[in-house]
Amino acid sequence: MALMQREEWYDLTRATNWTPDYVGEDELFPEEMSGARGISMEDWESYDEPYKVTYPEYVTTQREKDSGAYSVKAALERDAFVDRADPGWVSTMIAHYGAIALAEYAASIAEARMARFAKAPGNRNMAVFGMMDENRHGQIQLFFPHANVKRSRQWDWAHKAYHTNEWGAIAARSLFDDMMMTRDAVGVSIMLTFAFETGFTNMQFLGLAADAAEAGDHTFASLISSIQTDESRHAQQGGPSLKVLLEHGKKEEAQQMIDVAIWRSWKLFSVLTGPIMDYYTPLEARKQSFKEFMQEWIIAQFERQLIDLGLDKPWYWDEFMRALDETHHGMHLGVWYWRPTVWWNPAAGVTPAEREWLEEKYPGWNDTWGQAWDVIVDNLQNGKPELTGPETLPTICNMSNIPIVGTPGNGWNVKDYQLEHEGRLYHFGSEPDRWCFQVDPERYKKHMNFIDRFLAGEIQPPDLMGGLAYMGLAPGEMGDDAHGYSWVEAYRQATENAA
Amino acid sequence: MALFPIHSNFERDFVIQLVPVDTEDTMDEVAEKCAHHSIDRRVRRQPGKVLRVRHHEKGTLFPRDMKVSEAGLRPTETLDILFMDE
Repeated sequence: MALMQREEWYDLTRATNWTPDYVGEDELFPEEMSGARGISMEDWESYDEPYKVTYPEYVTTQREKDSGAYSVKAALERDAFVDRADPGWVSTMIAHYGAIALAEYAASIAEARMARFAKAPGNRNMAVFGMMDENRHGQIQLFFPHANVKRSRQWDWAHKAYHTNEWGAIAARSLFDDMMMTRDAVGVSIMLTFAFETGFTNMQFLGLAADAAEAGDHTFASLISSIQTDESRHAQQGGPSLKVLLEHGKKEEAQQMIDVAIWRSWKLFSVLTGPIMDYYTPLEARKQSFKEFMQEWIIAQFERQLIDLGLDKPWYWDEFMRALDETHHGMHLGVWYWRPTVWWNPAAGVTPAEREWLEEKYPGWNDTWGQAWDVIVDNLQNGKPELTGPETLPTICNMSNIPIVGTPGNGWNVKDYQLEHEGRLYHFGSEPDRWCFQVDPERYKKHMNFIDRFLAGEIQPPDLMGGLAYMGLAPGEMGDDAHGYSWVEAYRQATENAA
Repeated sequence: MALFPIHSNFERDFVIQLVPVDTEDTMDEVAEKCAHHSIDRRVRRQPGKVLRVRHHEKGTLFPRDMKVSEAGLRPTETLDILFMDE
């Protein structure tokens, strides 16, 4: 018996709505979970996902992908790349896995919400595969780093990070809880798949893959580009939701969800991907600067997608463009200065040669960021390392949960965007962060950031040791300079050469 | 005599920091406590300059001898610490 062509039966199997008899539609698809926003079941059927895949196609393709990624890993295991990789690159991997692995698993739960509660059958269909994708991503990004736990306890943070109150983990959970764990199915499709995945993950998974290949890390490059092929498919679920919403006069609501998700996603990338691309990746392996990658992926591609869909650029777009020159430099300096509080070893990335590159990519870097780093370098050269470590906490934004930073030195512009709400004083790192709060204060008002918890006495003793214990960071886990400060030698050399 | 948390936005530094001060501290003493976390860490000294305290949100410069308890500050108020001639 000849099998039917896929095109002849696909649409039939995809049309999985029915009219319920035994329960009401509202019981089957509660608004809180579905987010249909007053649009009928019938109208949601016009949802048309651009990538369509059948189950047999899915399993065949995924099996090939996994065979590829796992066999590259196995083949290269003996190569022991990790043992000879630049320490800055090792830190890149450790930071990546800790920040990402459990978020992937959480995303499978968010996909599952769409699979069950989206009124659009096309969305439910694709979300089943998306759920399996994210399950894959969680597992593979735990399995790969697990090979390295024998090398250092920091590799265990691939699993451990999200189970701790380390400040970066708090920030990541805050983002993902807001964007995908507590949103209705339509909200997930827009905030997770459209804003976060289509907008930003290409940076971490493709931009970084390019750097990884340059750095000689083929296991990691093959892994994350394989992951991203899944992403390209399941990230397409948001666009069709937006089309349906816009057709039914819901543009304002859709725009607001996008605006919140993009700004909050940006903040995570500024603290994770920014330092990785511009400071940890060995100089010779940097294909592009963080700003250049962001401009290529976010501005060029994502901005166009927004306009094509009939949406607007977020109201804060100019501020976003300006911040590309600034925020991640502050996040990097902050993470390095507060390095015992992270689970990886930050590379300073400020040798004279690296500072030349930074000046080229970010004109004015030495007049601003360089002024702060000069003091640090002096302290390291003059036997005062204690001054290169913190004795207090940085002020933390009540939305992004990361430090409030700005340009130092000759361009000093640091600003706290404050808000008094119901008698409590909140602090935000930017106007858009404050705006996100004001969009839905009930949603966010009870959250205690790290500083709030400290001031409330939750961290005991109220000092660095108490803070590290609260964050679950033990000796062997807390960060230190990736290169053991050997890079300072380059300054002594430069002085000698000049003399 | 009570502990009072403020946030220090120190001139030429890159980050705002939590600094515990005392309600009986003068603004000069507040500036000194803030300086401990910025000067010689990421900000160079400026000999001949005085450190002054300014309300970040309102922009009001506080008298050097004003006490924290007299300044009408909310807990976790953000203060700018500035290098000035006097």
